[in-house]
Amino acid sequence: MRDDKSTQEITAADTDNELVYWLTTCLNRYTAETNSSRSYTSYTQGRNTMGNKSSLLLREEEIAQIQEETGFTPNQIERLYSRFTALDKNDCGTLSREDFLRIPELAINPLSERIVSAFFAESHDDRVNFLQFMRVLAHFRPIRKNRENKLNSREDKLRFAFSMYDLDNDGKISRDELLAILHMMVGVNISEEQLSSIAERTIIEADTNNDQMISFEEFAHALERTDVEQKMSIRFLN
Amino acid sequence: MAVMMSFVSVAASILYTPFLLLILCIIFLASIGKSLGVRRLYVNILLKLFEYGRQHIEVAKKLQRNDSSDEDDLPPTPEDKPPSALIKENGVNGCTKTSVIERQEILGPSPELNYKRSKSQERLQNGHTNEQAKPENSLEVHLYHCLDLAKAGMESIIEDQVTSVFEAEELRSWNLLTRTNRQYEFLTWRLTIIWAMGFIVRYFFLLPLRILVFFIGVLITIAITFLIGMLPAGKFRRRLGAVVYKVVNRILIRGVSCLVNFHDTQYMPKPNSFCVANHTSPIDANVLSTNTCFALIGQRHGGFLGLLQRALARASPHIWFERSEVKDRHAVAKRLKEHISVPDNPPILIFPEGTCINNTSVMQFKKGSFEVGGTIYPVAIKYDPRFGDAFWNSTRYGMLHYLLNMMSSWAIVCDVWYLPAMTRRADESAVDFANRVKAAIARQGGLVDLQWDGQLKRMKAKKEWRELQQEEFSKRLKGE
Repeated sequence: MRDDKSTQEITAADTDNELVYWLTTCLNRYTAETNSSRSYTSYTQGRNTMGNKSSLLLREEEIAQIQEETGFTPNQIERLYSRFTALDKNDCGTLSREDFLRIPELAINPLSERIVSAFFAESHDDRVNFLQFMRVLAHFRPIRKNRENKLNSREDKLRFAFSMYDLDNDGKISRDELLAILHMMVGVNISEEQLSSIAERTIIEADTNNDQMISFEEFAHALERTDVEQKMSIRFLN
Repeated sequence: MAVMMSFVSVAASILYTPFLLLILCIIFLASIGKSLGVRRLYVNILLKLFEYGRQHIEVAKKLQRNDSSDEDDLPPTPEDKPPSALIKENGVNGCTKTSVIERQEILGPSPELNYKRSKSQERLQNGHTNEQAKPENSLEVHLYHCLDLAKAGMESIIEDQVTSVFEAEELRSWNLLTRTNRQYEFLTWRLTIIWAMGFIVRYFFLLPLRILVFFIGVLITIAITFLIGMLPAGKFRRRLGAVVYKVVNRILIRGVSCLVNFHDTQYMPKPNSFCVANHTSPIDANVLSTNTCFALIGQRHGGFLGLLQRALARASPHIWFERSEVKDRHAVAKRLKEHISVPDNPPILIFPEGTCINNTSVMQFKKGSFEVGGTIYPVAIKYDPRFGDAFWNSTRYGMLHYLLNMMSSWAIVCDVWYLPAMTRRADESAVDFANRVKAAIARQGGLVDLQWDGQLKRMKAKKEWRELQQEEFSKRLKGE
């Protein structure tokens, strides 16, 4: 019946031992000021100083930092943080690829590998901490006309879309990369020859300097008439 | 030290007798199936307390943080919402699940279950106007084609229908328990005091009381079922067994302070039929059994649970399988058929989801029990999460930890709706019938009707589902 816990005893790390939790939280609160700088580095490194599930809240300065960088409101940041911790099954403060692919709707998405790789682009140890997580999600914030758009301008969104195709991150989409993406999206339902000709056609259409590759500028030009803002924005309900 | 010991012993001796009397009273009332209304009063007081706490938290939070929320230029459109947002606000609980984002596209296990927000809206905002009919054999793939899938994937990372269903439900307002909190108990002094008082009441009064009641209940179960087992088989034994079964469950339910509201009892399951319900916690069977005698079905366990299983099996006809038999679907179907063919056998209680779900949704019903035939009586169970969460997250908590959580919550309050009987139509497949029953249960209980398999709690998504999505995408390309 039970899978991962090896013993039945209720240890202090299981936060539902209320008395211990209450005491540790009191202590943490009163030492909060001295720890503020430590907690900042802790969350960027992906480790929780306050034990595991007990720190379900971010500290105010961390929230302010993320708000500054990504433009999400504190409310949204808290909701996304609780989502992050929910995905983090092993309570280690970072997510691995398996954590993402545990979401069934993502696992059956034909482009699941590309989407997950987008999160790991900046990561060194194949894990994603909350800041990196938020930075990628920030690309999908709707564009606000009268406000500053930090990571979600039209160009940022286009760069994200470009990175979906650019498998080796060399700044150009080659014919093979395009073919690989097409394979992912259609599986075995379209024949090889048709796929090849489609890829060829797409490159010819978009490639303006005839180097058989699509650069970012050519990509942006090809999507000029597409409503990128609408196609790549996720509306938050508050 | 000595003073304290003497104080404790004096207190114990004074409280000893009333405590025992209280326990006897509870058990006696449970056996005759009556209630003094104490639990209802308790529940009403708690509701008032929660309301006070909620208002207090809202005021305190507003003062604490000046929230400059992201104003949305467009008002949320109430029509055309994805299934997860269409939850009926259950009048009893008043807890609606709030979506974080507006989902544009949700992929389902098979493409006909995909959800996409209305195309007309998309076309209006879409910059492309070349929607004319394409010549045959011309497949055009543009660079923007991957954007929809990428966005659907991102949406599912932020919020999806399935993973949240395997965790305890998030409450809209705090219910004064640490396990559901967001550090609210330190928000103001008043809340801290209320929380501390609640803590003392729950852990030092209610918890020992409930543990004792439960323990005594188990002893009574074993003793009485043993006695019944010694009677000669016959109608009298069967009737007595049914009554005893109900009494035993009532006592055990008091062990977790469960308050059950039954609705539509005219549709209560009759003998020789199946009763089908959504599954949230191990005590589901107990909750339903306080009103009707059921035949339970399940795997034989060892240890404490096995003890209870054997005890119950002496008094009424239950169906317990060996671990090896469970996989054999034909053996299972055969025993089910045998059971309902014996006249006057109690209805069989089945939880077709196969695993505990967190009571916000109903997941795919396994078709096995719907193939056997016979009448099905659907039952919807909805727990009120404000008083205590009955959901057992078996990947996170062990049984003992779970019981401790349950017994130290405020109470377990639930609503049970009996639904009219359903039978399989001649032209209906077992799967369609199962879906029909599931939809009825979801509608009544105010739960989301999901098509995903409950086994996703432990297993990964199947490759075939992904291949189906790829097929769907290619069809879309060809037909565009």
